[in-house]
Amino acid sequence: MVKRGKAGWQKWLQVFIHAGAWLPIAYLVISALLNNLGFNPVETVMRFTGRAAVIFLLLSLTCTPAAQVFKLPWVKKFRKPLGLYAALYAGLHFAAFAIWDYGFNLPLIWSEIANKPFILLGLAALVILLVLAVTSFKTIQRKWGKGWVWLHRLVYAAALLVIAHYLLAVKGDLFSLQGAYTAPLIAAGVLLVVFLLRIPVIYRNLKKWWGRSSKPEPDLD
Amino acid sequence: MEQKPYRSIPISPEEITPKHLYQTRRQFLKQMGIVGLGAFLAGCAPGALESTPGTAAPGSDALGDALTDYDAVTGYCNFYEFTTNKETVDDLAQDFITQPWSVTVDGLVENPRTFSLDEILSGFEQEERIYRMRCVEGWSMVIPWQGFPLHKLLEEVQPTDEARFVAFTSALVPGQMENANSDLFPFPYREGLRLDEAMHDLTILATGLYDEPLPPQNGAPVRLVVPWKYGFKSIKSIVRISLVPDQPPTLWNTIAPQEYGFYANVNPNVDHPRWSQATERRIGETGRRETLFMNGYAEAVGSLYEGMDLTEQY
Repeated sequence: MVKRGKAGWQKWLQVFIHAGAWLPIAYLVISALLNNLGFNPVETVMRFTGRAAVIFLLLSLTCTPAAQVFKLPWVKKFRKPLGLYAALYAGLHFAAFAIWDYGFNLPLIWSEIANKPFILLGLAALVILLVLAVTSFKTIQRKWGKGWVWLHRLVYAAALLVIAHYLLAVKGDLFSLQGAYTAPLIAAGVLLVVFLLRIPVIYRNLKKWWGRSSKPEPDLD
Repeated sequence: MEQKPYRSIPISPEEITPKHLYQTRRQFLKQMGIVGLGAFLAGCAPGALESTPGTAAPGSDALGDALTDYDAVTGYCNFYEFTTNKETVDDLAQDFITQPWSVTVDGLVENPRTFSLDEILSGFEQEERIYRMRCVEGWSMVIPWQGFPLHKLLEEVQPTDEARFVAFTSALVPGQMENANSDLFPFPYREGLRLDEAMHDLTILATGLYDEPLPPQNGAPVRLVVPWKYGFKSIKSIVRISLVPDQPPTLWNTIAPQEYGFYANVNPNVDHPRWSQATERRIGETGRRETLFMNGYAEAVGSLYEGMDLTEQY
């Protein structure tokens, strides 16, 4: 009975996360139907889907360190769905760019992205996320074993590419930090924290600190 | 006198769509129905149908491009002292106080002078100029401005022989501008033109758009409009104009000189280092259109840049 109770509210959390992940799409569809996407709908949709992709990717990457530090192993379960949603929103982001904005005019798209690291970085991240998405099935994971684990570590490369893409998308100068950098810097900060938490010394100490400061709670179950 | 091709086309009062009609045009068109549309347009603008090619019909610019909706012009713009969000800036700027206002014109001039807003509005004949506006971000609009050529103001103060450039400064009012104290931008916003660019008849000081005083987010009460340059050159809410001997520092050129040149002429052949400038998205249209060299004003302003390598001096 005890076990089932725990699984019950975790299931609800899972439902909550899936529902939350579809909300941005629902919001966009409703806004589109109400003709409420602003004066530059392509830009609105591209920014919105881009931000959603960044947020879901960062949330996905936060799962493992959070599970370790706070000793909540079940949090790891959300890593995969959140990563899949990141791939979904990255795909929509690129579709808005290539299909809606550029009418799938390949020569024009190519001339836009050739020699433009800003778009190429994003494209590279998208390719990684899509490869990870189509190889995310449990059967493939089991079959590939260690190789699968290594392949899926590419998600960290994708995250770095995405943050670089985000930082390069705004007007300004990164090295002097002059420009519209607030949002991309917050994203970069979160990614930095995620990376720091993967360093054994850091997460072990944090784990200890957490274990000490959070007194053993009475078992609610 | 022969009419120069770039002059804004004088529009007689009867050619201008009355504001109440303009503002209810969609409703009006719906009521008219598709069948009545042709007859309505022909009846409203006989002059447009007979006009010579290249002249502006009411409701369009000299290339025949339709005006961008008033709501878009006033609801979608960059004014970073308030916010970097183009679609909330209109709300945030609503309480910006623009009266009283004065513009100090100083530096290398015979008659330095501070103009009050009233002197600017009544001392110079306000005329309409329908200009394309191309933002460096890759979007564009067609905007009917009211204002007057900057050279008329400069002629009053008489630049001295040493004056080579004109430096402009925007108002910076921390109490009224949410982003004024941001560490991310070296405000106040500053811009500059070479004196011959500033004296060009296409360069105007705008005081209104769509026959309304400028809304705060569009640079009230007086702003620069230089239609052949990227929008960031068209500095808003000007408080100071100085005639100077050397190229003045400008905000975007100070932040990232490799990306935002002092000249910043619209040029599809010179890409922003991080994105292409070959095409643009006209607000209100779907798809993209090709960006025109000098934003389509090359015939008028090309002589200003003779002998210059525009890929080097972008």
